[in-house]
Amino acid sequence: MGFVRLVVFGFLLLSVIYLSLSWFTRSLRRESLENEWDEDQPEGISRDDYVAAGIKDYNDGLRPKLLLLVYVIPTVLVATIVYLTNSN
Amino acid sequence: MNRLRMIFRVTVFVIVGLLLHYVLPQHDMVRITSTEVIRTDFSGFNRFFYAQADSGNVDQPTRDLRLINTDKRETFLLGFIPRDSTEVMVYRNEDTGWIWPPYFKFDSSDLQAEAASAAKEDGWHVMTHYGWRIRWASIYPNAIDIRPVEGPDVRVIPWFNTFFFTFLIIAIVTIRAMWRQFRERKVDPLLDQAGDKFDEVQAGVAERRSGVRKWMNTWRKPENRK
Repeated sequence: MGFVRLVVFGFLLLSVIYLSLSWFTRSLRRESLENEWDEDQPEGISRDDYVAAGIKDYNDGLRPKLLLLVYVIPTVLVATIVYLTNSN
Repeated sequence: MNRLRMIFRVTVFVIVGLLLHYVLPQHDMVRITSTEVIRTDFSGFNRFFYAQADSGNVDQPTRDLRLINTDKRETFLLGFIPRDSTEVMVYRNEDTGWIWPPYFKFDSSDLQAEAASAAKEDGWHVMTHYGWRIRWASIYPNAIDIRPVEGPDVRVIPWFNTFFFTFLIIAIVTIRAMWRQFRERKVDPLLDQAGDKFDEVQAGVAERRSGVRKWMNTWRKPENRK
């Protein structure tokens, strides 16, 4: 029973962290894309299109997938603590 | 207002500090003298400082509690500065199970057996534990792990706490940065929008007033116009 509670509440908590972090990193990317366009003023592409293309590249890249480590690391950590605490 | 904020901050800091001091692992240098089991009838107050029955068992209002009796080397400053004297220290030995605090300890019986075998010899051991000994409420720190060492002067490096506090600082900085980004990108634009609306309304009022004024002026003599 305790294990089920840990899994359910742990999953909820980690999901909150995952969603916040993924919003945060994407927002940082968007901001730096906007700044790039403002500085270079590239010809033939509007600011919105430039940012949208950059965000699409970002979404297809590796970095947003790395955020899934938010779920992996605590699980590995708990497994390690269980092992270390209970092994003689 | 400033003083209130200061008091609030200090209170939060003290509470969080006490919580961490209770929950984080600490290492004591001990000689284990004996182990025992006592029946415990918890009160509403000290129940809070105990874990639950052994993992997999049902929790009753009264149960047996494993204790480990030791001679502990005294220290200053949260255990960082050892002293030459010793004092007695009693640890409880309970499963923390899957809940709080997250030590995931299920091996109380094995730990008790280790302690019993360690009690036979006179050697020094590092006792990893969390919690406080509060004598007037019969509250004991909970033993997590026993490890034999050569002597009482062995230096124990608190790896877990080092990582924990590093992580805590990183987490606080990240949350701060996240909050600022959220304010900058989501809250401020909304406020700006609201501000713009307000400006527009004000400008509209000013224009309308100027319309009325213009019309009034048509009735005035040129030298009296405003």
